[in-house]
Amino acid sequence: MAKTKPQIVKRHGHSELYDARKLYASVYAACLTVRATDQEAELIAADVTEYVDSWFVAKHEVTSHDLMCKALVRFKELHPDAAYMYEHHINLS
Amino acid sequence: MPRRYDTRYDFDLIVIGTGAGGNVAAHIANSKGKRVALFEREAVVGGECPNWGCVPTKALLNAAEHYKSGQNAPNFGIKVGSLGYDYKKVRAYKTKVVERTGTADGDETFRKSGIKVIHSDAHFLNRHEVTASGKRYTAKNFVIATGTSDFIPPVEGLTESGYITFKEAIDLKQPPKSLLVIGGGAIGCEFTELFTSFGSKVHLVEAMPRLLGREEPEAADLLKALFENRGVKVHTGALVTKVAKKASKKEVTISVDGKNHTVLVDEVLVASGKRPNVDFGLDNAGVVYDPKRGIKTNEFMQTTARNIFAAGDVVGPYQFTHTASYQSRIAAMNILHQKSNWEKADYRAVPRCVFVDPEIASVGITEAEARDKKIHVRVGMAPISIIGRSNTTDRSTGFVKIITNHRRVIIGATVYSPNAGEMIHELALAIHMRVTADTIAKLIHAFPTWSESIRIAAGRVK
Repeated sequence: MAKTKPQIVKRHGHSELYDARKLYASVYAACLTVRATDQEAELIAADVTEYVDSWFVAKHEVTSHDLMCKALVRFKELHPDAAYMYEHHINLS
Repeated sequence: MPRRYDTRYDFDLIVIGTGAGGNVAAHIANSKGKRVALFEREAVVGGECPNWGCVPTKALLNAAEHYKSGQNAPNFGIKVGSLGYDYKKVRAYKTKVVERTGTADGDETFRKSGIKVIHSDAHFLNRHEVTASGKRYTAKNFVIATGTSDFIPPVEGLTESGYITFKEAIDLKQPPKSLLVIGGGAIGCEFTELFTSFGSKVHLVEAMPRLLGREEPEAADLLKALFENRGVKVHTGALVTKVAKKASKKEVTISVDGKNHTVLVDEVLVASGKRPNVDFGLDNAGVVYDPKRGIKTNEFMQTTARNIFAAGDVVGPYQFTHTASYQSRIAAMNILHQKSNWEKADYRAVPRCVFVDPEIASVGITEAEARDKKIHVRVGMAPISIIGRSNTTDRSTGFVKIITNHRRVIIGATVYSPNAGEMIHELALAIHMRVTADTIAKLIHAFPTWSESIRIAAGRVK
């Protein structure tokens, strides 16, 4: 888990505290879109969230674009189709 | 005349990284009255070269050279009592040398000049703004000089068994009794030279068919032979596939042509290359990069974001202090001047030195690279054994190789000789000024100097 919760700078400049649940939910939703099972979606969402959390260590502020790029690195390895949906159809802001 | 600042930004220039790629640009911009901030993620300033790289390794190699001179002294009628070394004092000398570079003064060097130093990672939010430790900083221009990190190969058991990199190798309390070096590039060869000189049993493993893959094969083959003469086990075309802890030692499995064998060593040193540090929001700034090759710049050191420049190891094509400072100066000058006066980087005559014994220095392109470029190549070679200095010093191993194009203009050279690092600059100047081999051959070289071998090799270009 991240030692500090970083700020996420959104597309229009405002920022908010990173919420791992939002990332988890969006990855989970993307998995379901491509008919992954609930269990598979949960495992992938947990894995991607953990991967991004570990990247956040020592980072205080990143953009939502950074967050998406980093999540995609792991997501593409685990489920390329679901990652495609996440990349092209999910609005993080 | 009052200074004119762009009040839209906190700084005129933010430099990320205090190594040679960063601090040169910072000082130049500061000397021209610009408001400059430097970001440094490490506790010390100066980057890799003075703290863990070139400077400490050369200090240690200097001590090793004196130790070897003592061993050879009886050959020249010099009586030596009991010869030995106190490695604690060798390290102390290394530390003194590092401090003399100015790193001991820390931030003060910059602060005295009016440069703000911020010890933190910087992360781009957009092309004019970075965030660091929860604060935001804006600048009109940026110079990125974030350098590289060690590439640790994915070898089974390596992390669990433990390994060292050059950063730890310069601070060992004693040379290891036995050592396996992964990587036969310049760093791997220099540490092989160092620890072999102090009596370590060294295995040097290189995945490519020969050591120093970027250099002339004659130099690589001679280096391998010289290392083997001194007891180094050189494994080329070999991969380390597994490392396992065996009591206080490490059992390393080496694979050559699919056949495995193991060696037992006290320490494993990883010197298998580096990866550029690019994970700090470059996408947000519109800076194009490759995770393996680094940041893409044009010949003006400008990235794909027009207000952001980059220099040093994070850019390449070379990972040397001298190229980093060269690029940094170009970046700073281009930031300060109108585009019509911008300078271009020219890499035709970049000297490359490997500090083994004797030294290997080269410049320009190799014979193979020239042939790949369809250049009609002419080559001249001379062994150093035929010159007077070889006779007086009783050192006969080495050569000079000069590459020219069809008009006999020098385009590349390799010097494998004592003092090669000094000698190479004659040939670098020749390449820079597009001098022919015949001009060098006609030039009077002092007798008896190692440089005479350059004159002879130039005269032999056919």
